[in-house]
Amino acid sequence: MTGGHRRILVVEDDPETAGQLVEQLATSGYQVDLASTGGEALSLGAVCDYAVITIDRMLPDIDGITVMRQLRDDGIAAPFLIISALGEVDDRVRGLRAGGDDYLVKPFSFLELLARLEALGRRSDTIAKETILRVGDLAIDLISRTASRRGKEILLLPKEFQLLEYLVRNEGRVVSRAMLLQHVWDLHFDPSTNIIDVYVGRLRRKVDDQQAYPLIHTVRGVGYCLRAPG
Amino acid sequence: MLLAKTLRSSTFKLALIGIATFGVIASAIFAYVYLSTSSYLRARSDRSIMEEFAGLREAYGRSGRDRLIDLIQRRIADDHFADHVYVLVDPALTVLAGNLREWPKTASSGWAEFRASPSSQHAANQLLVRARLEPLPGGDRLLVGRDIDDLHNFAADIKTAVIAAIVLMFVVAVAANVLVTHRTVGRIEQINATSRAIMASGLDKRIPLRGSHDEWDRVAENLNLMLDRIEALMGEVKQVSDNVAHDLRTPLTRMRGRLEKAYQGPRSGDADQALIGDTIADLDSVLRIFASIVRIAQIETQARKGAFRIVNLTEVASEVVELYDAAAEQYGTQLIQTGEREVLVTGDRDLIFDAIANLVDNAIKHGRAGGQVVVSSESVDGQPVITIADDGPGIPACEYDHVFKRFYRLERSRYTPGNGLGLSLVAAVARLHGARIEMLDNAPGLKVRLWFSASAGAAG
Repeated sequence: MTGGHRRILVVEDDPETAGQLVEQLATSGYQVDLASTGGEALSLGAVCDYAVITIDRMLPDIDGITVMRQLRDDGIAAPFLIISALGEVDDRVRGLRAGGDDYLVKPFSFLELLARLEALGRRSDTIAKETILRVGDLAIDLISRTASRRGKEILLLPKEFQLLEYLVRNEGRVVSRAMLLQHVWDLHFDPSTNIIDVYVGRLRRKVDDQQAYPLIHTVRGVGYCLRAPG
Repeated sequence: MLLAKTLRSSTFKLALIGIATFGVIASAIFAYVYLSTSSYLRARSDRSIMEEFAGLREAYGRSGRDRLIDLIQRRIADDHFADHVYVLVDPALTVLAGNLREWPKTASSGWAEFRASPSSQHAANQLLVRARLEPLPGGDRLLVGRDIDDLHNFAADIKTAVIAAIVLMFVVAVAANVLVTHRTVGRIEQINATSRAIMASGLDKRIPLRGSHDEWDRVAENLNLMLDRIEALMGEVKQVSDNVAHDLRTPLTRMRGRLEKAYQGPRSGDADQALIGDTIADLDSVLRIFASIVRIAQIETQARKGAFRIVNLTEVASEVVELYDAAAEQYGTQLIQTGEREVLVTGDRDLIFDAIANLVDNAIKHGRAGGQVVVSSESVDGQPVITIADDGPGIPACEYDHVFKRFYRLERSRYTPGNGLGLSLVAAVARLHGARIEMLDNAPGLKVRLWFSASAGAAG
């Protein structure tokens, strides 16, 4: 997949939601195809090579899961982002996670969707072989599981390291609180508190205090982003 | 009105079918008894007539007509043969001897039944006679018979008795049926009346009991219990919707006010930006409340047992402790984990995590700042238990039951963050896992224990 490969198939039957999605995704630099039925999704999905396919669970003709399975059987490798309404997140949807795909519960914020799409679309082309990842003056060693800035070691708890690693792997991209819960803590619900913010706050103090510049940035309304200046 | 309902009721109709079936069988038996009795009596009488006839014919054959006339006259005079009838005629049908006035006109020979006038003093009374008529060798004819009026009357009496018995039986059975059905329909009608009253006015009506402890009382008791439960649930639903309305109205009103003000005011990039951000945050909190409600409902429908695995309570607890470590630090609270290394239960890891997380979250928020929260997992007599204890102000024992209700918040926590759904989620998770929640006074503080069922751990 090339860097210019930013074509997305959106399968959504509600015209207003679909319109918003297409418009916002296009603004974010994606090329967007829209299918409003399962049948359309099947025919479009089979002919074009998409970076990601977002699919609503409730479609007027065929169930979203069935469409996905059908496309998978046809050899379509594109990752699927399942979008389901509140309360539909059952084990079937959670099980998809095992296949590497993702799900999102309606209503969602567009930034959350964008963060997920970025993570999914990139999945296939960054399989890091390095054992030391660097962002600016931060270096994390995946073998010894240690982190340092300007050669000075930062003492981290195991979960803090995992959190930092996830942020580093998604360098420059926004990750949402729900994504952190999902990937770092393997939790698939929202604990309804600011617990993640508190946790990231502590990590941030350890990583950014008394340094030349901050690495961990809060992205209002979504989550966090780790990036070096410049 | 009730009588009409009684007659229309299915119980009544079924009983009628029963009565009809029984009646037909009983009638058949009575008819059989009647027929066999009357035919037995007739056969006996016929036999005695035949014997008498044979004796007289023999006397005629042996000693001639005069001897027979003599014999007949002696028989007529004999009281022993009072109900017997004799007639001897010559070929011209002139009566030679006998106690009938004339030879019957209708009959010639063989068996005959007829009415005839006796030749004696009670000439007015006609007799009902059954007789054997036969010609004798000399051309004379002999008739021997019996007055069967009595026999006839007896048979008629039996017939009347049988018919009366059948009619009486039907009348009594139908009356009993009406009474029994009336009673049944009456009880059902009470239940119906209560149902209608409930539909018309409200759930506070109950079906009256008769205190007879019969099946109707039990039905009524169970329906009343069901009504109690429904009333309680309706109360909870109302409470919840009031709370939802209250909890959602606050952020929604805030959002509306803010947007309205901004709509009327001049456009300003920075202010608009902040306003939109705040509005989104408020919307998110509304959505979170919705998500929590849906989640609790989902857990309560027990739809998640498919995701049950062997889960190590200690491991889950340590993950929770790690997640909340930073939060505890913020409050200056020490979060400590103790207990055994492996305490196995069968359950849904995410839900158990969520439940423990809620309890730890509460302990940190409502405990004492600078105090400590202890999370311990262990097996007590083979029963896995996890305890979350704080050393804060605790809650009064009378509130223990209430705190698990949705949206319930102690008065003093009204203004601390949280939506009042945490403990009801814990309760829902506990119910799904068949776990028992115990609340204790930690002196000072609150100690919450979750007792899982013993068998779950053994399975691992």
